[in-house]
Amino acid sequence: MASIFFQGIRSNQLIVYPLAHFSRIQTAVYCTLQRPQGQARPQEVSFQEQRKVQQTSSQTTTRKPLEQNMQGYEAIIGIETHVQLSTVTKAFCSCPYFYGSPPNTTICPVCMGLPGTLPVLNSKVVDFAVKLALALNCELSVTSKFDRKQYFYPDLPKGYQISQFDIPIATKGFIDLDLPVEFGGGHKRFGITRVHMEEDAGKLLHSDSGSYSHVDLNRAGVPLLEIVSEPDMRSGLEAAEYAAELQRLVRYLGVSNGNMQEGSLRCDVNVSIRPRGQLELGTKVEIKNMNSFSAMNRAIDYEISRQFLLHSQGQSDQIVQETRLWEEGYQKTVTMRKKEGLADYRYFPEPDLPEVVVTEDYIENIRSSLPELPELKRRRYEKMGLSMQDVLFLADDISVANFFDSTLENGAEAKLAANWIMGDIAAYLKNEHLSIDEVKLTPQELAELISSIKGGIISGKIGKEILFELITKGGTVQKIIEEKDLVQIVDPGAIEAMVDKILEENPKQLQQYRGGKTKLQGFFAGQVMKESKGKANPTLLNKILSEKLNANSK
Amino acid sequence: MVSVVARAGAAALRSFENRKPVLLRRRLFASAPRCSSLQPPDVPLLADAARISLSEKEVEDFAPKIRQVIDWFGQLQAVDLVSVQPSFRADTELNADLREDSPETFQNREAMLAEVPNYDSPYIKVPKVINKE
Repeated sequence: MASIFFQGIRSNQLIVYPLAHFSRIQTAVYCTLQRPQGQARPQEVSFQEQRKVQQTSSQTTTRKPLEQNMQGYEAIIGIETHVQLSTVTKAFCSCPYFYGSPPNTTICPVCMGLPGTLPVLNSKVVDFAVKLALALNCELSVTSKFDRKQYFYPDLPKGYQISQFDIPIATKGFIDLDLPVEFGGGHKRFGITRVHMEEDAGKLLHSDSGSYSHVDLNRAGVPLLEIVSEPDMRSGLEAAEYAAELQRLVRYLGVSNGNMQEGSLRCDVNVSIRPRGQLELGTKVEIKNMNSFSAMNRAIDYEISRQFLLHSQGQSDQIVQETRLWEEGYQKTVTMRKKEGLADYRYFPEPDLPEVVVTEDYIENIRSSLPELPELKRRRYEKMGLSMQDVLFLADDISVANFFDSTLENGAEAKLAANWIMGDIAAYLKNEHLSIDEVKLTPQELAELISSIKGGIISGKIGKEILFELITKGGTVQKIIEEKDLVQIVDPGAIEAMVDKILEENPKQLQQYRGGKTKLQGFFAGQVMKESKGKANPTLLNKILSEKLNANSK
Repeated sequence: MVSVVARAGAAALRSFENRKPVLLRRRLFASAPRCSSLQPPDVPLLADAARISLSEKEVEDFAPKIRQVIDWFGQLQAVDLVSVQPSFRADTELNADLREDSPETFQNREAMLAEVPNYDSPYIKVPKVINKE
């Protein structure tokens, strides 16, 4: 009998960081139940310990790679990510879900766990799961099933969470990413152990005083995808970049908005260290309550330092398997109550739900609907000759990448288009808190602008003004040039005439220039520009101006 | 635990029904529960996990009965399953009943909330529980 079960989980025996996924079959001795929510009261860490760790961790606040401080040890990091899917309805009932709805308004008997209700799986959840699994290069399970993960907690209406235990929908994938240029760059590939579908719990709000809490079940039943990574990361930076790439991916695919602040992307991290070359893993510590990628980075680096310090003091037995919370205010991890043994979730197959079957045709359909993924885009942009900095910026947001691609399709040069998008356009978007899809500038007009400047019809400076008009009011480059009479003046005769005029009108400055103040050339140039309403070609203007100024000083 | 056994039971039953007539599994028909290699259940622990309070007398009463049920299923340990494909579920229909992603607002929310024992509008009021021990 036991063999049937183990056949099912054979593929999962290589998981190093199961994080209480697996309960033992035989009844074992478990006392406590670990509830994965970061709302516990942290234990007070002794002042001495605090100070010691702070001294070490001050080294990690700079952007040095952590390995330098580790002297023969390496960190092993694994990450579990929960992605809240942006389906219209919940996983097992037809309730809509909107972040920020008034409490207990998007509920029904099914997601409230009232007696007699039955779950019915939302087809979109499977679509999104397959989409993400394919994007993560996973093997898809042709059939997978749901299981009940049983524990008692006020925000869990049914007393169990419908999840996938031993037969998840996807296993054995990987994700490719590029580290940011300012941290040394480079490609990295991290393994993905599994992806599975499950439902979210409600929200529990603790009162500050008093012996009660408040439950809001709006979120109960919202579909989640859990992504478990292989323990391949070696530093806080790699972990943060992994999480950022997952965010990029889910946004590219449109399966989630991936907002850590909103809670639609949650990461729990497992950190341990061991001497380099040792096969055996050290004691792993789970860290929760990180609300941003940079918090993840800092939390992990802190925890690595903490563990390294204990090792170096011969106190490695002080590192226990536990969950710690990241305290953003204090910039350190603190213990939650230590758990004694693994939680017993008493998994068994969900009898109310049939198997999930994905056919070859279905998979191929979804595969062909995938957009160009960030990794492929980055490689394509690299081949165009753009710098890594440009590549990473353009490929980060799918709307920006699409805008860039469209601009190229309209004939613009890659580097020029990249410069405009990353420079003036990005600055405007940042100031006004807009996305590139929300401004009136079109890729065609950007291409037109670029070619107008290249062809000498308008100067670069005028181009910037036109850009602003295009972004805010729209329209076409041609029309704006016509209406505002912005065509560049390239006739030497016309420029000469203006230069003469300016020199005549400013005898004092002319004398100063002849006297040695050559910097005043800029002043004259500015005056001529003003006279020409910005239309004089700068290069030609300076050439003629120099000639005239130096000729007269003979 | 029990339903894992149930799964195994269903699968074994199916393979049993499909067996060639020659192979008789006499041992399956043993009437007296055999000495099982399964560990005896820790009833107080199970009760705690299920949040069911049992008196000491009840634990004494239930433990052998639970053990008997487990041992009865435990007879399946003897079945040779080497050539049997593992099945995930006991049902034979491969029809996944999927629902379209279109929203429906439940019309009688008030009735549900009226049933909440301790309703502190708009929240459900519960005792403060930090970590489940």
